[in-house]
Amino acid sequence: MTSSTAVSPRFYPDDPIRVDDDTALDAGQPVPIEGSNGFDFVQHTFLKPGDRRNVRAVNVNTIDEVPDSSWFTNRIGVHEMTPQEIARGPNQQESLNIDGWPIVQEKSSGITPGFRLTSPDGRLYQLKFDPPANPEMSSGAEVIGAAFYHAMGYNVTQGYIVEFDPELAPIREGATTVDMSGTTRQMRRQDVDRVLARAARLPNGKYRALASRFADGVPLGYFAYYGTRPDDPNDVHPHEHRRELRAGRVIGAWLNHDDSRGLNSLDMLEQRDGRRFIRHYVFDFGSTLGSGSTVPQVPRAGNEYILEWGPALKSLASLGLYLRPWMRVQYPEVPRSIGRFEADFFDPLAWRPEYPNPAFDNMRADDAFWGARLVQRFSDEAIRAVVAKAQYSDPAATEYMSSVLIKRRDKVVAAWLTGVNPIVEPRLDASGALTFENAAVTAGVATPPTAYAFTWSRFDNDTSADIGPAEQARSTQPRTTAPASILQGVDFVSVAIRTTHPDFPRWEQPVKIHFRRSSEAWEAVGLDRGYTSSP
Amino acid sequence: MRPSNPNDYRHRLLTPVGVWAVVLLGLAADGFAQEATTRADELRRAREAKAAQVAPPKQTGLERALIWLENDRFLERVLSPAVGFYPVLGSVTTGGGFAIGPGYRRSGLLGGQVDLRVSGAGTFQRYWMVDATATMPRLAEGRVFADVGARRYDFPSEEFFGVGATSRREDKVTYGLRNLVVGGGAGVRPRPWLSLTGRVDWLTPRVDGGADDRPIQDVFDDASAPGLARHTDFLRYEVSADVNYRQPLGNPRRGGQYVFTYSHFDDRDLGAYSFSRVDVDLQQYVPVFTERRVLALRLMTSASDAATQNQVPFYLQRTLGGPDDLRGFRRFRFRDENLLLLQAEYRWEIFTAVDGALFYDAGKVASRVEDIDLSDLESDYGIGFRFGTTNGVFLRVEGAFGSRGGKHFVLRYGHVF
Repeated sequence: MTSSTAVSPRFYPDDPIRVDDDTALDAGQPVPIEGSNGFDFVQHTFLKPGDRRNVRAVNVNTIDEVPDSSWFTNRIGVHEMTPQEIARGPNQQESLNIDGWPIVQEKSSGITPGFRLTSPDGRLYQLKFDPPANPEMSSGAEVIGAAFYHAMGYNVTQGYIVEFDPELAPIREGATTVDMSGTTRQMRRQDVDRVLARAARLPNGKYRALASRFADGVPLGYFAYYGTRPDDPNDVHPHEHRRELRAGRVIGAWLNHDDSRGLNSLDMLEQRDGRRFIRHYVFDFGSTLGSGSTVPQVPRAGNEYILEWGPALKSLASLGLYLRPWMRVQYPEVPRSIGRFEADFFDPLAWRPEYPNPAFDNMRADDAFWGARLVQRFSDEAIRAVVAKAQYSDPAATEYMSSVLIKRRDKVVAAWLTGVNPIVEPRLDASGALTFENAAVTAGVATPPTAYAFTWSRFDNDTSADIGPAEQARSTQPRTTAPASILQGVDFVSVAIRTTHPDFPRWEQPVKIHFRRSSEAWEAVGLDRGYTSSP
Repeated sequence: MRPSNPNDYRHRLLTPVGVWAVVLLGLAADGFAQEATTRADELRRAREAKAAQVAPPKQTGLERALIWLENDRFLERVLSPAVGFYPVLGSVTTGGGFAIGPGYRRSGLLGGQVDLRVSGAGTFQRYWMVDATATMPRLAEGRVFADVGARRYDFPSEEFFGVGATSRREDKVTYGLRNLVVGGGAGVRPRPWLSLTGRVDWLTPRVDGGADDRPIQDVFDDASAPGLARHTDFLRYEVSADVNYRQPLGNPRRGGQYVFTYSHFDDRDLGAYSFSRVDVDLQQYVPVFTERRVLALRLMTSASDAATQNQVPFYLQRTLGGPDDLRGFRRFRFRDENLLLLQAEYRWEIFTAVDGALFYDAGKVASRVEDIDLSDLESDYGIGFRFGTTNGVFLRVEGAFGSRGGKHFVLRYGHVF
């Protein structure tokens, strides 16, 4: 979004835009896109689809932020959220009682056993059960993952922890299951029993489950983490260059969302004011944290792709004497509802999903910085509130999950908030006083730098060039005063801030900020961290 | 940069910049006559440019095929359906060749308790088997199980080298074995890791000269191959205890399995071939600092005790040799009334779907149980690769060396132990 032709001004009057109205054009009648797990794995493992150039994310606005869109709605990144708000996530109700709701279909996709039910108001819900050996594991991971993703700004569906009583669940006439002959037929009580045989049973005889409400609209399949939908006129930014998808690697690392791939996304066709548009969801958080949906996460999860040649060949050649570091991890004895999850060995920079993800591969240090700022905004209290939503029956599970998430958050923030010159929140008042924050220092992951060096220039917006002589200044504090000679008689000024810190040589890369004169002060309209390599 | 067919969904594979490039090029082509005046305007123009060329997503043939396979659960439905007809693929017995045939399966009969399976399979080596079994695996919520069934098979070319540890490879002959087995069993599973089973079977084994050029009668007689000249039926009684705490069950990384079986074969016609047998099969899986590396150990022994004036017929004797035990020898290379097999494998994970293995096998057969010791063991060693998942190995490829039986290549469906 920061691109422009040679004759266009660098900054338009509406920059920086806060909303990218990618629902503007009628989407017509897009067709659902089906996906294949096998094809997806092969394609991403062997073919590397998508554009792999090291370019700045294309959907950020001129101050390097992600505007609201059908993909993302800024929440915790732009305003304070209470722990309760964060924990509530997308849910519109405090809780859900599904007693008496009829079963209308057996869940047919994915590996987790479940049903579909309809609520009294006709809404469709999907139930997913926990594995017998790990009660509360998958459903807990689902609600925790959904709450965090939602608070950050992603579209997720409503999900509730419920208790399913098969005695109180009628099978609706016409409820369907697909048997192994491929025939769709009326569901019977034996089908319910068969599904529940793979589900964890509560001491009260009921079954704990996650009830996910189907999103509004018509399902259109999934979105890929590269390219665009060819049948959606509003989808013009290649997905592998969307910042919120690139930075999904940061969030995936924090939450160990190893199953973060296109097939676990959802496009829904909605209609508003007579206009159809596609909203993009991330969903299925059953394979996050320590949960692998039906089993605890395998030790490899998050540490290595399913197929990664280097370690495999080393292991082959050494007859197994070469031991991948993750193979040495001793997971602590924890409640079974946790699965396999830890923070001590966790290295955010080394984290991987199940197989390569083009957007994750394209993540640069500025994308990671943006994602880390989101993660950093979750306080200990907020994390504990979200974990409480999982309703673990064992307090030790709640405590362990919270402590691991806090520790992993701290590692994520330390790793990625320091990867670029962390200048944020620049303000230039009418008197010429410049203030800003050093996000890494504010977050407590870096000591104050030795110095900030400022290069002030007058800026010609029409030619996108600095004009006249530059003025230099230095400060040990995140503030300075703009030279009066720079501010006089222009509508735009720029300042490049270089930060000197003995531990972070990358901070020498200047952040260039542009201000536009407004009636009362100066408005930051541009923020460019310059070339940033992969983190 | 313009893709050859920008409407092709799969062009994302071929053109790195994708639609965004098309949009920008489209904007450039518009010239400067109508410059955007706002960012929103610029974005809207980009979208309008794309709107002029939207098209339905397209998928490659491979992707469509895989979607169909996955969505329709084709492989499950065809190869291992819960109900209905399915193809039987694999093997009817070691060395019989690749088998194929029809199968039929129904579950939940008679109030949901009975599962029925009927199958038939044959090979190009003219081995065949038909099998009908009704199982009741869910009695008392799975704590009690039972089965009844019948099996008829014809193995026309079974290898035989003579009885005893000193049998000679150059004495190799073949015999044909036909059998009808009818019986049933029941058991209890008081704990998930413990099952106790009892069963009774009627056996009608018949042997002949085999289908190859050198039939068994050319080299052996009833004295050197007991049971060759006279045929009889057997009633087999069997009890067993199975302690199984392997994890995971199909491709263990830790735990063990210990199976103890006592069998009695009662010669119903001749009173000449009745015997009892005790089999012990002990397996232990020891992680080597991590479950990604496992030392798999197996000790199997079998001791037979024929009644007075009775013998163990050669075709019911335990054997050694072949892809599942002494892998450096031909199948059934050794046989006798008593047996000892020791196997050790060092298995390590190469990547998720492939394990490597170094193995060592040793064993012997003996006519007297007191000769079952660690002296004069036949042995081999080798290396192999196993393809599968945590739930099981579906294919293994191995090379076995170091035996006096020469080098052997093993390509086998399923795990060795």
